[in-house]
Amino acid sequence: MRWVPKRTWRDSEWWWRPFRPRRTIWPTRDGWWCLLVVIGLGVAAINTGNNLLYLLVSLLLSLIVVSGVLSEQSMRGVHLEAEIPEEIYAGAPALFGALVQNGKRWLTSYSVTLELLARGGPARFIYVPRLEAGAERLVTWEVTLPARGRHRLAGIRLTTRFPFGLFVKAGRVMLEADVLVFPAVQPISAEALQRLVGSGTASARRRGRGHDLYNLRAYRPGDDPRHIHWRSSAKMEQLVVREMEAETTEDTRIVLTGTGAHDPVRLEAALSEAASATVHLIRAGSGVELVGRGIVVPLGRGPGQSRRILTALALYQPGALRAAPDTHARGWRSLRELHIELG
Amino acid sequence: MRALLALRLITYLLVCAGVGALALAGLLAPLGTAIVALALLGNWCIDQVRERLPVRPALGWALIVTAALAIILDLFYLAQSILDGMVHLLLFLILLRLFRRRSLKDLRDAGFLSFFMLVAASAVTFNVSFLFVFIAFLVLGTWMLILHHLVSEASLAAGASPEVAAGGIGPRSPLFRVSLVAAAGTFALAGMMFFIIPRVGQATLPFRAELGRRISGFTDHVELGAYGEIETDTTVVMRVRFPEDLRDPERLPNLRWRGLVFDSFDGRVWTAGTRQRLLLRREATGEFAIAASRGTGPIVRQEIFLDPIGTDAVFVAPRALRVELRGGALGLDDMGSLTVPTPSARLQYTVDSELEMTPPRGLREGGPPAATAAQARYLQLPPLAERIPALAREVTAGSRSSYEAALKLNHYLSTQFKYTLVIKQESELEPLEEFLFVRRSGNCEYFAASLAVMLRSLGIPARVVAGFQRGEWNPYGRYFMVRLKDAHSWVEAYFDGAGWVSLDPSPRAELESAQFGPNLLALHLDALRMRWYRYVVNWSLRDQIGVAASAQREVMHWSAWLKESRESLRSVPRAVVVVSAVAVLALLAILWRGGPSAARRARGAGSPRFYLQALRALRRRGFRRGAGETAREFRQRVAAEAPAFAEPLQRLTAVYEGCRFGGRALGPDEGAMVEAALAELRRRR
Repeated sequence: MRWVPKRTWRDSEWWWRPFRPRRTIWPTRDGWWCLLVVIGLGVAAINTGNNLLYLLVSLLLSLIVVSGVLSEQSMRGVHLEAEIPEEIYAGAPALFGALVQNGKRWLTSYSVTLELLARGGPARFIYVPRLEAGAERLVTWEVTLPARGRHRLAGIRLTTRFPFGLFVKAGRVMLEADVLVFPAVQPISAEALQRLVGSGTASARRRGRGHDLYNLRAYRPGDDPRHIHWRSSAKMEQLVVREMEAETTEDTRIVLTGTGAHDPVRLEAALSEAASATVHLIRAGSGVELVGRGIVVPLGRGPGQSRRILTALALYQPGALRAAPDTHARGWRSLRELHIELG
Repeated sequence: MRALLALRLITYLLVCAGVGALALAGLLAPLGTAIVALALLGNWCIDQVRERLPVRPALGWALIVTAALAIILDLFYLAQSILDGMVHLLLFLILLRLFRRRSLKDLRDAGFLSFFMLVAASAVTFNVSFLFVFIAFLVLGTWMLILHHLVSEASLAAGASPEVAAGGIGPRSPLFRVSLVAAAGTFALAGMMFFIIPRVGQATLPFRAELGRRISGFTDHVELGAYGEIETDTTVVMRVRFPEDLRDPERLPNLRWRGLVFDSFDGRVWTAGTRQRLLLRREATGEFAIAASRGTGPIVRQEIFLDPIGTDAVFVAPRALRVELRGGALGLDDMGSLTVPTPSARLQYTVDSELEMTPPRGLREGGPPAATAAQARYLQLPPLAERIPALAREVTAGSRSSYEAALKLNHYLSTQFKYTLVIKQESELEPLEEFLFVRRSGNCEYFAASLAVMLRSLGIPARVVAGFQRGEWNPYGRYFMVRLKDAHSWVEAYFDGAGWVSLDPSPRAELESAQFGPNLLALHLDALRMRWYRYVVNWSLRDQIGVAASAQREVMHWSAWLKESRESLRSVPRAVVVVSAVAVLALLAILWRGGPSAARRARGAGSPRFYLQALRALRRRGFRRGAGETAREFRQRVAAEAPAFAEPLQRLTAVYEGCRFGGRALGPDEGAMVEAALAELRRRR
């Protein structure tokens, strides 16, 4: 998923654009010392009229200016394209990435740092010592979001202390995006597996890798030689291969019972169980439907269905007003049901 | 070279530059400098084996505490001044930082503290050597800051070693070139800022004034022969330039630099008797008015830079009319000597002088002027041998005027006597009598004293002047370099109508022209020193205003030129102007698009830089990769023709193919290997 900068109210204000700083600059501890020394020497130079002191003041001031120019040269033309993972699960590390590109034609960028901001915690840093003109580098980092639901990322930004370590120059904060965190998906416990698989597998009337014969057809280059049906081949005097039926579990309806309003811990565990079951079933090729208070995700299969159900689980709020629909009423298909108590 | 080792080396060099600044400024005696150098060397050696040394904190602390106590004692009781004490404290802190180095922070602190050595030196020195230390400090300091930044960031990131990650840190690395560019940019910008920052403060004396040595002859009294010891000293003590851009200043007549005047002679020593001093008042223009112009000669403006020679005299070309002296007061005595209240570290002043002409204008015929009470002091004579006045009368016999008599005496001394710096007592006679009748050779004081005494014996008021003769013309800086050996003594005699007229009987010019020839290197160096004094040490608000005014004049000149050009362009058909402008823009666009990126495309877009460097190294050896030749074909061709390059080029080609077509970045080990292979390609023949 490629991140697109989010438009804020300031973006639409024409008057703000000229004033919006492209970079921020702030002295480091050494920088503060340098500024203090400049001021002290400046006062001494004015008091004594000693031109050599003026020369030293000029040297320090020039060092500050050159520091600004070189750090700007290092930052200018460096583009950042952030990559957000497709699926983020609560409590599991998600791999984020950013492509750092030096778009300059001639000049190398030195000592660029990708600062990973964190809400309420220390920032982390990824250091890129050198990025030649036209070069790009993919940097990745892991982020673990503890709870399901919508989260706003603290963002990332490019900074540099190059060349003298006196000032930190920082670009605009990017990736201040909202991401949806799915409930934690755990490995299915043996008991749950028994419950899910215990009803037996059913063949789906489509090609697959199951054990039952689906069809016989003429051999085509690339077919697995182990699938050649020798008897039929001999009979038909041409190579014939077996096609097998896909095997799948039965389509399942996950029914969330209760509201989960009383026991948040139980609620989260139950949602995590539901998410885990969904992922497992859909990977097994089964169709899954989700039903609960305020939630109905109709039957479907495949990764799209998995995302729909996980999104519904991620956004589930215990205070939902509507009651769960009666799945035994008319109009509802008869499916194997997996009941999960939210508490 | 490893980055940390390089950082340590640069930091030590930076400290050495600071110590050099202190030594050049005289804040560290040679012995102190040697001790500090030894301590630095010891620290460096300890640094090399620090990890292997047994840890003895007690010994370390004992050393530190002892040194700290010594420094405190020095600061409050032993040091000559508070500045000396602070310098010792600073050195102690730097050595302590280096001795107890635990982390990068200690190295950084030592580097930062060494900057204050430069600050301390700037308070007491004006020598041009400060410029060289300043440049060395700038280059080293820039590289130290970059290296420190690189090493500290790399250590925080815990990634690859900084030297590999940054593409090398050696003198041939791109980062080092960045550092040099940064140093050059800082130097240029510092120069610009230095000249622009308004000098709003009042220039005062530095913390510890350089009084210099006291020169005999420029004190309250001068003994005959006293100049002998300094007349071989080639130290430049005064520089005189002519701000109004005179044509051929070296041909100006009677150019000398008048200092102190003596009127009383006891037969051996000249002294300034009871002279009355007047403290001059500064006029609204900031100048001191000395005398009014008499229209007897050309008026010449001189800008004089006087080094400290321990005298309060202000040397000017006679006859001074106006003096501009920044800061401080100016005194004038009744013999026309200009003095400052205290012997300063260094003086810079501008003087307008009305030069004397030969013969002096307004001279009246006749004998000696009627002696007035004011001039009686210039006729005073010590007990003299009778034959001295007799000689004076004999030489001047038949003179129609006192001026003619004075010229005859002057001519007699300058032609019949020999100038020498080797003066030996050859008899028991008084010095003057021995000079005139026995030895017949001496230095300028003997000549001046003899002339003054003989003039006085004839009733002509005369006095002896101590100052400098004109000096050596430096064509590269267009100024006179006046050395100590130019210290000179001559006579001023009073004549009706003309006033005080200078007479110089010493024939020393012939001696010096035979002794010295111009030394080009010395002249260039001194011209640099002069510019340093003029444009750095003595840069003032007045100079800034002058530059601003001339810039304004230039702007007006160019705006007038632009206006004229616009007028003349109106006669050119408009179509021609438009076509020319479009052509220029198109040319610029072509140049821009055909820049380095086009060249890179021609060489092969996306080729890693190390491979391009390898191609460049091989091109120098005569191997040029063909347009349709692949990397492997090129490698095979080079290996066949020059087997010495086969092995490094094979390694480089393999890595190149991985990067170029595999789209992967260089790993840390590969980076080191590539550097090594490139070095081999560059080295092998």
